[in-house]
Amino acid sequence: MEKKAWKGILLLIAFIVVVLSAGSLFVGHSETFAGFLYGAGGVALFMLFAKLMTLIQREGKQDD
Amino acid sequence: MIDLSSVPNIPPGFIFIFGAAVLPLFGKGKIRQVYLIILTALGLISVAVMREPQTSWVFSNLIFLQVDRLSLLMGYIFAIAGGSAIIYSLATVKDNGHHICALLYLGSAMGAVFAGDFFSLYIFWEIMAFSSLGLIWYEGSRRARDAGMRYILFHLFGGCALLGGIIFHYMSTGSTAIGPVEYGIGYWLLLLGIGVNVAFIPLHTWLPDSYPKATIAGTIFLSIFTTKTGIYMLARTFSGAELPIHGQEYLFIAYMGGAMCLYGVIFAILQNDVRKLLSYHIVSQLGYMVAGVGMGAIGLGLIATEAQHLAIDGAFAHLFNNLLFKSTLFMCMGAVIYRTGYNNLTDMGGLAKKMPITMITCVIAALSISGIIGFNGYISKGMVIHAAEMHELHLLVLILTLGSVGTLISFIKLTYFAFFTKNDEIEAKEAPIFMLIPMCVTAILCIAIGVHPEFLYNILPYVGATAHYHAFEVGHTFSVLQLVLMTVFLFFMIGFFAPHEKVTYDVDYLYRKAGRAFIWSIEKPLVGFATAVEKQVLRLADYIVKFSQNPRRETRLSIGAGVLFVILFFVLYLIIMLYAGWLSP
Repeated sequence: MEKKAWKGILLLIAFIVVVLSAGSLFVGHSETFAGFLYGAGGVALFMLFAKLMTLIQREGKQDD
Repeated sequence: MIDLSSVPNIPPGFIFIFGAAVLPLFGKGKIRQVYLIILTALGLISVAVMREPQTSWVFSNLIFLQVDRLSLLMGYIFAIAGGSAIIYSLATVKDNGHHICALLYLGSAMGAVFAGDFFSLYIFWEIMAFSSLGLIWYEGSRRARDAGMRYILFHLFGGCALLGGIIFHYMSTGSTAIGPVEYGIGYWLLLLGIGVNVAFIPLHTWLPDSYPKATIAGTIFLSIFTTKTGIYMLARTFSGAELPIHGQEYLFIAYMGGAMCLYGVIFAILQNDVRKLLSYHIVSQLGYMVAGVGMGAIGLGLIATEAQHLAIDGAFAHLFNNLLFKSTLFMCMGAVIYRTGYNNLTDMGGLAKKMPITMITCVIAALSISGIIGFNGYISKGMVIHAAEMHELHLLVLILTLGSVGTLISFIKLTYFAFFTKNDEIEAKEAPIFMLIPMCVTAILCIAIGVHPEFLYNILPYVGATAHYHAFEVGHTFSVLQLVLMTVFLFFMIGFFAPHEKVTYDVDYLYRKAGRAFIWSIEKPLVGFATAVEKQVLRLADYIVKFSQNPRRETRLSIGAGVLFVILFFVLYLIIMLYAGWLSP
């Protein structure tokens, strides 16, 4: 199988894990699998922040 | 056997300050190296033999040695981390001046920690600011000089606020003893002064601005003392401080910690310069400590709860651990810069095989700061987050947990792009032995404390507080493992966080704009006005002189000078009226 297909399958599995984790937290009120949700939520949050921060970034070397 | 209890303790700060004074006598060769190693050992011994509690070296109102469990803990970690930095600097530092600045900095930080009153604290606080400035300026470049100027401006501002706060506190209480401060103007000034050193948002910009521009060894010293002394003082004076807003009281120091944690990590992720990335992580990691201090209670005269004790213990456990893994990270990146000449992640890569020991120690420190199970960061971060859970501060728990995710992302980025990506062009060899020894020692301590946290628990301010905290509880461990697995997986799958050459503006952009506008307003309109006034005054004086020589000839007076003449008389009249009290109702 192609590399892209593998990547897609793995991301799909991760998505299912996150959905199940969210379900167990918000529906089942169990924190047993909340770590997956925090991890995925954190990555998504920092991606969002990084995108927002491009508004105050400019090209060039990091200097003064 | 020598009975050490009969030997009077010497303040460790004095050992290093005296050591700095006599350093030039040892030249620049091997003897100097031996001297510095002996001095490091002496400093460590002086802390190890310290008895607590004790108050000695008292001169009038100044107390230079006040020892309790908290100051002793700080003494230990400053001696270990400072000693490591001294040994590391033997490989790179040639100038005696640089060593003197470093020793003065270490000595004054020790002095501040063991000071028993606000005025001796202030003396050491200012010595710290100026000696650390030397470590930035010794880099020699223009950007280091400019960053140093901004650094010292910030610290002078903080120092003035601190002094003002001390004076107000003394005026209202009549005491200079270090302890909780009464609410009032002195409270806010002290908070501002300490807040500069602790890098409260938005007073933090001096840190990521100056640390990456200091010398390689200088950055390691800088990363150890200033901010941690600030945390120590914050705990002594503002632990559990609350801010009344609309009738409700908020643990504002604790939430400031949360803001620092998230803010620092957001900016760290965007950095390409490795030392700037680490500098933003200082702000972020300080956030955990500030949050812990904000939830805790020291010397408030109240019966503190178990959660408050755990919060303080967590804050100082994280301070202790942070000094170990953060100094290791700075040492590793310093070694990489020393060997390659590159500062940016985009220029690095392929160093794992060329610098294997540096790589291993860096990975250990990265795992520690990311809070991975089995490393020391896991223990202390868990303590702070657990204390927040006990306080039922759910928002703070969420922020601190997300901060851990951001930290993990940053350090996967740092280690992966510095050591493991392919780069055939880079030329480097393993770091010198004087760099490797302290790196290995601190990295081993990161694992040792991570595996056996009891060693750390025993030296924390509240011994019993950790009795109900179980770091390796199955549920907690399993949750952290899930978080780590998901973050690592998504980091590599999405590939979003690769480094690139971009400048990210921080709030110092606004300070610099405001600063330039201020200087322009002085140079242009104000100086222009002053010149015009001066010109008119001179004309008026000239007229008066000529008029007094021959009143009949000099009868003409320009309109401007005439108006000025009238204004001057009016001002004089007002001053006399005011002085005589005729204006008062």
